[in-house]
Amino acid sequence: MKFTPPAVALPFAAAFALAAYAPPAAAQEPIKIGVIGEQSAIAGASLTKAAEMAADDINAHGGVNGRKIQVITYDDHSSATDAVRAFQRAVNQDKVVAVIGSYISEVALAIEPWSARLHMPFITPGAASNDISKHVHDDYDHFKYTFHGWLNSAFIAQSICDYSKDILVGPFGMKTAVVMSEDAAWTTPLDARYLECLPTAGLKVLDHIRFNPDTTDFTPIYNQIEAKHPDVIITGISHVGVQPTVQWHDQQVPIPLAGQSSQATTSTFWKDTNGATEGVITATAASPGVALTDSTVPFTDAYTKRYGDSPAYCGYSSYDMVHIIAEAIQRAGGSTDPDKLVTALEQTDHVGTVGREQFYGRNDQFTHGLKYGPGLVTGVAIQWQNGKQMTVWPADKANGKVTFPSFVKLPKQASAQ
Amino acid sequence: MTFEDKSPRSARAMARLLHSRLLWICAVAVIAALTLPLWVSAYLLGVLTAAYYFGIFAMSWDLLFGFAGEVNFGPTFLIGIGAYAAAILNSRYGLSIPLCVLAGAATAIVGGVLLAVPALRLRGPYFGLVTLVAVLLLLNAVVIFAGVTGGEIGMTVPDVLSIDATTNYWIALAALIISAAILFGLSRSTLGLILQASGQDPVGTQALGFNITKHKVAAFCTSAAFSGTAGALLVFYMGTASVDTVVDIAIGVQVIIAAVLGGRRTILGAVLGAVFLILATELLRPLGQLNTFVVAAVALAVILFFPEGLLGYAMHAGERK
Amino acid sequence: MLTLQILIDGFAISSLYGLAAVGFTLIFGVSGVLNLSHGGIMVVAALVGWATAAEYGFGSYLGAAVGVLAGLGLALVTYFVVVRQIQNSRAIPKEETEIFVLTGTLLWGIMIQEGMAYLFSDNPITMRPLIAGVVNIFGVRTPANEILIAVLCWVVIGLLWLLVNRTGAGKALLAASMNPRGLSLLGFELSRIYLLVWVIYGVLAGVAGVLLATFLGVSSANAGQLTASAFSIVVLGGLGSVSGSLVAAYLVGYLETVTAYLIAPTLRPIPALVLLVLAVYVRPQGLLGRR
Repeated sequence: MKFTPPAVALPFAAAFALAAYAPPAAAQEPIKIGVIGEQSAIAGASLTKAAEMAADDINAHGGVNGRKIQVITYDDHSSATDAVRAFQRAVNQDKVVAVIGSYISEVALAIEPWSARLHMPFITPGAASNDISKHVHDDYDHFKYTFHGWLNSAFIAQSICDYSKDILVGPFGMKTAVVMSEDAAWTTPLDARYLECLPTAGLKVLDHIRFNPDTTDFTPIYNQIEAKHPDVIITGISHVGVQPTVQWHDQQVPIPLAGQSSQATTSTFWKDTNGATEGVITATAASPGVALTDSTVPFTDAYTKRYGDSPAYCGYSSYDMVHIIAEAIQRAGGSTDPDKLVTALEQTDHVGTVGREQFYGRNDQFTHGLKYGPGLVTGVAIQWQNGKQMTVWPADKANGKVTFPSFVKLPKQASAQ
Repeated sequence: MTFEDKSPRSARAMARLLHSRLLWICAVAVIAALTLPLWVSAYLLGVLTAAYYFGIFAMSWDLLFGFAGEVNFGPTFLIGIGAYAAAILNSRYGLSIPLCVLAGAATAIVGGVLLAVPALRLRGPYFGLVTLVAVLLLLNAVVIFAGVTGGEIGMTVPDVLSIDATTNYWIALAALIISAAILFGLSRSTLGLILQASGQDPVGTQALGFNITKHKVAAFCTSAAFSGTAGALLVFYMGTASVDTVVDIAIGVQVIIAAVLGGRRTILGAVLGAVFLILATELLRPLGQLNTFVVAAVALAVILFFPEGLLGYAMHAGERK
Repeated sequence: MLTLQILIDGFAISSLYGLAAVGFTLIFGVSGVLNLSHGGIMVVAALVGWATAAEYGFGSYLGAAVGVLAGLGLALVTYFVVVRQIQNSRAIPKEETEIFVLTGTLLWGIMIQEGMAYLFSDNPITMRPLIAGVVNIFGVRTPANEILIAVLCWVVIGLLWLLVNRTGAGKALLAASMNPRGLSLLGFELSRIYLLVWVIYGVLAGVAGVLLATFLGVSSANAGQLTASAFSIVVLGGLGSVSGSLVAAYLVGYLETVTAYLIAPTLRPIPALVLLVLAVYVRPQGLLGRR
């Protein structure tokens, strides 16, 4: 009997050889940063694109101590498991020194334990769940490698309560609200904070609706809300955006939409909704044409020129986080040792595109979370008007006044403020 | 004078075994697998670990399909139940990993019985439908009870098998070899013959007095036990459980593809198919978004043009006219 | 008031479900194929329609037409490249053709979904309503587009009925679903009949996809869900039975609407699923299916 090795073995051998091959180490090796994003989602793609831009900017100015920054991107297909696999690949195969990852809380929370186990600094530029920094506070030694590079849900809610008081309660005499959010990890603390701070801002909460993120038909929900006759709907939506907005417009629901609608922060949203988003207010990181800091507008312009659309909210923070990592490496004397990097990151005081970025410390409630407050990072509120995002809050950055579509019923028209 | 083989039966059986092409293929594969950690990167070991668990999924499916003739369109129903049961027990109640894995397997078996009993009363496309519906139900249940299961995106478990890539690799390899041995043995045993017969000629088999329903339920339970165990182990390897890896219909399709790619009714071919599929997806990762597309396209091409599968061709290569 | 709201809202969505399901069951009834790339075809129709209308600025009507054509085109590609290949393949044993077709169309569906996600991202898009504005039906504020959709669905279904019952080609289709062998013995070319049914299917799926885009919005991520939903309705109604699918579509549509309004929006898909489970255990051939 002749024994012929199965032809099937050859492709495997080739595959192993290819994958196992490692090029010899170069003298001035680039500093690798892994960036994990959801490529088929606008926000996720923005994350990775902004990071690549940041790397190019840093390299154009000489890199870090002469070494170039190399961004390696991964698509996690909006799946926690894919993200974990990508993270493991970044650490074990591609030998990165830090990972920036995801704007989805569930994904960031899945990566966090691995960042702890593998001692790899990990920053999320867009996820919102309070738990991300809560874990660091509760078990610092284990979870210290994780940093929360954006405002968490509690602060997002606070900023929404703040702007509601300034631009809704005051000028329009609004007194009541209904909270409407998708059932997801980031909205649990968001809603909890809404229920606490909205009454303080002057809005009584009449009802609190959480819907399945898979919902496609929002008619029953709007009907339920309308029956309560609130003055405003405060939203917490990210997974959905186009559909509730379009249906709000098509059904001419007479109640304004405000709050946080992550998809509404992207510049393509007007087109995606065929203009139905007219009048929708949302919190966001930054908006076109408004200089939160000296680097906001140049970044927005350069990004738009290179990629065709303005950055999503996590694009701004992703860009800043790459710079923050580069600065931390410099502060650590060029070392990329994880523990030294963590200490250096904790000392961050960076004026980025969205404000002045610092992280809370070990003894604060939200350890390693981004600090919120005037003079630091507050985000802005924008309203879609005639195809443009007009900034309506805070007052010192506003470039437009709040107006609503004709089908929306208001308690009183805005007085000249 | 005609030649008569006078050697004892056991020696002849042994000789047949040693000459068996299949045995040599397996031996080479196992030895290669055992030596891999010596010269392959931690990352690749990780990919293979996932591939081995996938191999167990595919073998379990092949037992049911290849031998019982039942097209299970929802292998992920059994895998998912085992995986999520283990994950929830670990994250909510803090039970130890071995306990959770056992519980996962047990829950999967219960699921298998619940599925088998009504499904086996149906013929043709309806059976496949029921299995598909089961997956849809599980998918919806996970999404609706997102508070407990983490919904669409997934949940994290506090415990993992190990952080070390090599340890994880050994565990997966061990699970694979044990499962392969048992499943292959079953397929060649009396149970396997009865299943094969009931798959190909149910009326005749029943006429011979065999209770095919009982045997098919047994096959279901076996498939469930292995799928559930491997699903639970996979969760404790990754540290997360998400619908994308253990419940999604796309995963079920990949399991079927792996088994068909490797060679239907060979049990061991399923391992080949699984390893090929997982390796291909990972190696194509730099393509970013399109890697799933490319893998699906390749798999489609294979089933269109090489329905016999890899092992099928390897085994019969020399025998072609 | 609420009752009227539920009646109207439920009607529109059920009509859409019905249109999508009818195509799916027709393909099975006539050619024995369960096309699991169904959702993908609807999504492509919607996305291409949106791209034509909004991205390239050709307006809603042209966009809708192009979308339907895209659905038709893709359905035909599915038939020729995937289904027919497998059905005519000599390497696949006869009794396993079904599973290969199922797996093949599933894979094809995945390819479509991923391809669309790559080209259009998974952000949902909406097409401008074909008629803008709202009408007031006895105090219930309803978008005019919603009413148009229900009407259009029924017009299409009506046309289909006319086709099947009043034209020669349609009658051949009906006959093929009952006794394909007999038909070919009589000299009919089965392959032409299959082609016809796939053309009809393509148009149905295309229209359903485009209408969905104007009503609720569509994204590449919906493909799987749309297939699953059409599939569930068809199983409930009885595989191969067009009237069964319609009845089941309304049953499911109203169950979901009533649940969303009266119980909780989160629990919307549950009653239909429970019904499906019951059906599968108690009467697997569906309401009006043949055994």
